Amino acid sequence: MTIQNIIELFYLTIFTTIIGFMVFFYIVTRKPPRGGVSARERADGGAGRGMDRRERQWLYFLIAVALLGNLATLSPLVPAAKNALWAQEQPVKQVVIEVRDYKFILPEKPITIPAGVPVEFIVISDDLTYGFGVFRKDGTMVFQMQVVPKPYENRITWVFEEPGHYDIRSTEYSGPKHPYMYIPDAIAVVGGGGR
Amino acid sequence: MNEDERKLLTLRFVVVALVFFALAGLEGTIMRFRISNMLTEFFTEKHFYAIMTAHPFVGIYGWAYMAVMGAFYFLVPYVLKRDIYSKRAAYASFWLMTIGVATVWATTFITHYAPLYTLYWPLPAAIELAGWEPISLVAFGLGAALIILGVLTFFFNMFATIFLPVRQQEVVANGGENVRAGAAYVAKELLVTAFNLDKLRAKIRGIPNYVEKVFNYPVFVVAVFRGCVDTTLNALVMGGFGILIIIFGLSYLLPGAGLSFNIIDPLIYKNVFWWGLDLIADGNVLIFTAGTWYLLVPLLLGRPLYGESVVRTVILADLVVSLFVWNHHMLADTPQPLFLQIQGQLFTWGELLTMGLTIFAVLMTIWLARPVRYSAPLKFVLASILGYGIGGTAGIIQANYSMNRYLHNTQWVIGIHGHVQLLVGLSLTIFAAIYALFPMLTGKSLNERLADVHLILMTVGGLVMGLSMGLAGSAGMLRRTLYPMGLGPYEPYMTVAIIGALLMAAGFAVFLLNVVRTIGIKALIGIFLPSKPRVASKTV
Repeated sequence: MTIQNIIELFYLTIFTTIIGFMVFFYIVTRKPPRGGVSARERADGGAGRGMDRRERQWLYFLIAVALLGNLATLSPLVPAAKNALWAQEQPVKQVVIEVRDYKFILPEKPITIPAGVPVEFIVISDDLTYGFGVFRKDGTMVFQMQVVPKPYENRITWVFEEPGHYDIRSTEYSGPKHPYMYIPDAIAVVGGGGR
Repeated sequence: MNEDERKLLTLRFVVVALVFFALAGLEGTIMRFRISNMLTEFFTEKHFYAIMTAHPFVGIYGWAYMAVMGAFYFLVPYVLKRDIYSKRAAYASFWLMTIGVATVWATTFITHYAPLYTLYWPLPAAIELAGWEPISLVAFGLGAALIILGVLTFFFNMFATIFLPVRQQEVVANGGENVRAGAAYVAKELLVTAFNLDKLRAKIRGIPNYVEKVFNYPVFVVAVFRGCVDTTLNALVMGGFGILIIIFGLSYLLPGAGLSFNIIDPLIYKNVFWWGLDLIADGNVLIFTAGTWYLLVPLLLGRPLYGESVVRTVILADLVVSLFVWNHHMLADTPQPLFLQIQGQLFTWGELLTMGLTIFAVLMTIWLARPVRYSAPLKFVLASILGYGIGGTAGIIQANYSMNRYLHNTQWVIGIHGHVQLLVGLSLTIFAAIYALFPMLTGKSLNERLADVHLILMTVGGLVMGLSMGLAGSAGMLRRTLYPMGLGPYEPYMTVAIIGALLMAAGFAVFLLNVVRTIGIKALIGIFLPSKPRVASKTV
């Protein structure tokens, strides 16, 4: 299961929950409440100065969600965070790729890298802002970064767990020639399939 | 301006906004087909990217901004019970916006200039690499500058309408001496009130039980001027970029005077660009939407807004958060300092709190009014909350440092986040305001059954299109690009997205039918004739 599958599953759960809640809310609020709304609530419903108790509870819930969300996404559970924020090892290989006039200039074709070890990609643009994305053969994205032109160098370290061939595609629009910045089988990951 | 003149002005804004909405919708539908490699004989690749460049300008500035301006020109005087500060400025903003948007659209259509709305440096000025005509830079920059001038004129008029009368009363009270009421006063009053600086000053001076000035204004007006702060800052930045493009275009037109685009640092440029642009997406859109809900829902239900004192603070929090979230657009830029990227992520989660509290206040207002008779505008408000809930959640997911590595620039960003927020969230809020204001402006009500059909088609269509694009994005499909060699695994998603787009188009057609049935073509045309207003002057 890729990280994208997990994102989809998580999001579809939220998506259906929100729709379900809103439909439920619409149906319920059309009917009179059992026992009626209290006179005080009907009159102001928390319109006094300061936060109503229910509103404060909702705020605490939102804060808890925000804390959990940040902890989860910044934790090493997510491969992108693991490679960028929690990496222990230095890259065992550097791959320098230049980009010029809508073309990737690769150091070799395919770029051969070992599986299960950190590899640093350094992508340098001579002219425009491009993107650098690595894709599996089924079209899903392994990772990407923007390629900000010189004087900047764009670096990303990644650990490929699965051997096989990967495609490279520019992930940022840079003019009408942009969709042709695509190199199939640009990367060959070899080795044992994990550490 | 008297009330009839303001109504006419509002109707003109809204009708032009609807024309731009139709144009943006047509462009969007064409792009959906073209991405699926259909209509290739009619739209070349260059034309596709030109459409993609015009689409957000027409959709945001032509549709959303002009509809909001029209609504505010009527609602702010209505709520404050006073006139618009300047009739000339009001009409100037109308024409500047209309001509500006039309200029941007025509430039891209004729010249196929296509730097996209992102304008990442040096693409807008890279005439040889990208194949732009130098004159197209000048025309595009001019169109953008006119739009921004229109925006600034509008907000000056709004700020003056809100803040100047109070000062004028003071002037009268002081016998007209030693008190100046002008632009400097408006700017000072705006900053003090928008950021609660008077409260801060009172705390420093130890004044007990001080009630800040913001409580002198209705919540809706607070949302208007706090949202306008974001929009003014945005206009200054975007106007600057428009002028920059004009300067480069002119330099290429003059022999031997071509500027080198290396004089501008691409990363600093990108930071400034996203700081300015995000003041729209994460600033005024959310604040204006909240303000509209806060106005409409209590009016429609005939009860006070839940937690009215708190929502003013929430709007302030929204304003502050919007000033610091731009880094979530730069999470894939590895030269960007890491601490800024993490800061961008954390502030973006702040929007969960502000938007969460806003939605809570609106839903509680409805909840406490049970049993509720759902009128058309109230149903649209509820659907727009749904849109913000679904689109906003997708936005928070993609705006994380690690998740962005997989979702940046994919169809996820523009589909389930961008378009669901803009079409189901923002556009349905604007339609809610149109349905609510229509009787006040024309003396006639739109048919509720047709409004239901409009609502269902727009909501379902928007969600179907957004979700299918989003799932294509998580499957790896990029935005801002064609796949000329074939869509491959993404093709089924794009087919479903076309169905969603057509459902929305059908919904809009039903809305137009409703309008024409209610007031007739003649009255619609009469809005733009120089004679006396043809619309009813009686308010409902």
